[in-house]
Amino acid sequence: MKSELELRGVQQRFHARGVEGGYITAVDDVSFTLAASPPQVVSLVGQSGSGKSTIARNVLGLQKPTAGSVLYGGKDIFKLSRAEYDEYRRDVQPVFQDPYAIFNPFYRVDRALWKAVKKFGLASTRATGLELIEESLRAVRLEPENVLGRYPHQLSGGQRQRIMLARVHMLRPSFIIADEPVSMLDAQVRKHFLDILLDFQREHGMTTLFITHDLSTVYYLGGEVMVITKGSIVERGPVSTVMHEPSHPYTKLLLDSIPQPDPDARWTTRINVDELDEEEKTDAPATAPETPVI
Amino acid sequence: MRLLTAVLRTIRHSRRLAVGLIILGLMVLLAVFSPLIVHAIGGGSDPIEVAAYEKWLVPGPDHLLGTDQYGRDVFAMVVSAMSVSLQIGAIAGVISTVAGVIVAFVAGYKGGWIDGVLSTFTGILLVIPTFPLLIALSAYAKNVSLFQVGVMISIFSWPFAAKTIRSQVLSLRSRPYVDLARVSKARDLEIIVTELLPNLLPFIGVGFASSALGAIFGLVGLEVIGLGPGGVIDLGQIIFNAISTGALTLGAWPMFVVPIVLLTLLFAALNMINIGLEEVYNPRLRGVAGE
Ligand SMILES: Nc1ncnc2c1ncn2[C@@H]1O[C@H](COP(=O)(O)OP(=O)(O)OP(=O)(O)O)[C@@H](O)[C@H]1O
Ligand SMILES: [Mg+2]
Repeated sequence: MKSELELRGVQQRFHARGVEGGYITAVDDVSFTLAASPPQVVSLVGQSGSGKSTIARNVLGLQKPTAGSVLYGGKDIFKLSRAEYDEYRRDVQPVFQDPYAIFNPFYRVDRALWKAVKKFGLASTRATGLELIEESLRAVRLEPENVLGRYPHQLSGGQRQRIMLARVHMLRPSFIIADEPVSMLDAQVRKHFLDILLDFQREHGMTTLFITHDLSTVYYLGGEVMVITKGSIVERGPVSTVMHEPSHPYTKLLLDSIPQPDPDARWTTRINVDELDEEEKTDAPATAPETPVI
Repeated sequence: MRLLTAVLRTIRHSRRLAVGLIILGLMVLLAVFSPLIVHAIGGGSDPIEVAAYEKWLVPGPDHLLGTDQYGRDVFAMVVSAMSVSLQIGAIAGVISTVAGVIVAFVAGYKGGWIDGVLSTFTGILLVIPTFPLLIALSAYAKNVSLFQVGVMISIFSWPFAAKTIRSQVLSLRSRPYVDLARVSKARDLEIIVTELLPNLLPFIGVGFASSALGAIFGLVGLEVIGLGPGGVIDLGQIIFNAISTGALTLGAWPMFVVPIVLLTLLFAALNMINIGLEEVYNPRLRGVAGE
């Protein structure tokens, strides 16, 4: 397990028709470092199209940057030896945005977990593998009997996304790259998910790069935040500092464009929600969720 | 093995698919046992030999479908012709599907210049007028065998399969589950076979069925102009025979009707299989069916 994940001058261009130069620059000279210890949450915020997902794909080795490099333990991830690559693969794991598309509709959801067990040699027998899977499912508050043996379309979005967390729990990577993992979940399920992520940080020492366009999630997670616009990171700092004393004009703009989670700041327009709970910062209904198992 | 259970599961969930498969299965069975059936009809001698019986016998207990202008037993002819038609369909279907799938996967999954070259090549083949070329080829190669005709027809039908499947590969290869497989250390070939291929089965099925049908009807076309493979009778030839001899006016209607019914059945069965596959694989339709 290496201690550092670093982007050095990463640039990602895509061919595009009808634009100047014949390409667009999705990520423009981005450099930052994620440290494994102390475990932390670093949020990456920016509007749609600012290049967040592209950075995630670069970090995960799914897309080779057109310039610059992604370094794991000081080495370019596209030039690793076999053993180093295996280590990198296990140590840097994703949670993706769309909890439905992440599962191959052809197979039962168990397969995603068994794949992890087999590919990374987590267990030598089927029994220990199953034990591991069940333990990890419980760690993300899923009952194994409710999800194992099912097809993806038979589970809720929250369940599917937590299976992905269970996968992460089994692999125990140092780095989780989470690309808008909660944007398709409702407020209550969302909080659940974020709490599990924070648990992982505390109990298993995982560092998360949390990509989002939703500032209330950033507040909730705390830690550090990086602000990206048009492919460039314009600001990085502790959440409280950046949110209260933004130094870049874009960050100010971003902060102005969202409803203030500050109870002292009043909405000027009429709103229906009685009182925003300061602690949860979500508008979760007080009633029980429709399904007992989310 | 897992594929087999998947196939069984698929069949359980669509009546259409099951019916299509049963019809096709029966036809294949008939084709497989056609030599035995023909032998039984002939009772020792060859019922398809010229002047085996009297000309233009009407259907009766001895000759279920009557005889033709040469005194051949029509039932025996139809049975062996169907076997020939299915063979040409299978030969061309398999060759063009395999070629189409390989080209589509290489082009679609690898992308870049490889895709450019392969797609251009496929595109060129697609716009070549197939039938005239087929005629020219068959005229050039005298006395071609059934297999050779199958190969010739495949040359022109694989690009269709390649084109449909490639566009599907393109849309599937950027699916998040492919990314998940990649971060789980799956290799390219493994991703193609285990992640993409199963989801493409319906399209591969469509590719196979349309190539097979194209070949069967292509052979009918060649027979009509007398350029079919030597020494074999397919369903098209019987139909053509019936038309050119005016068999219908002579009361020998089975000679015309039965091959057409068989071709229609085959067409229907293949289409039912396609629609059934689609039904089972489209998750939204699957939800309605109540998995
Ligand atoms: N494979 C690709 N080919 C061409 N252009 C791409 C590709 N992937 C991303 N882009 C472009 O790069 C830019 C950044 O995209 P990216 O998906 O990284 O944005 P994002 O910040 O994740 O947006 P969102 O919040 O909507 O997910 C966009 O203009 C997008 O159109
Ligand atoms: Mg994105």
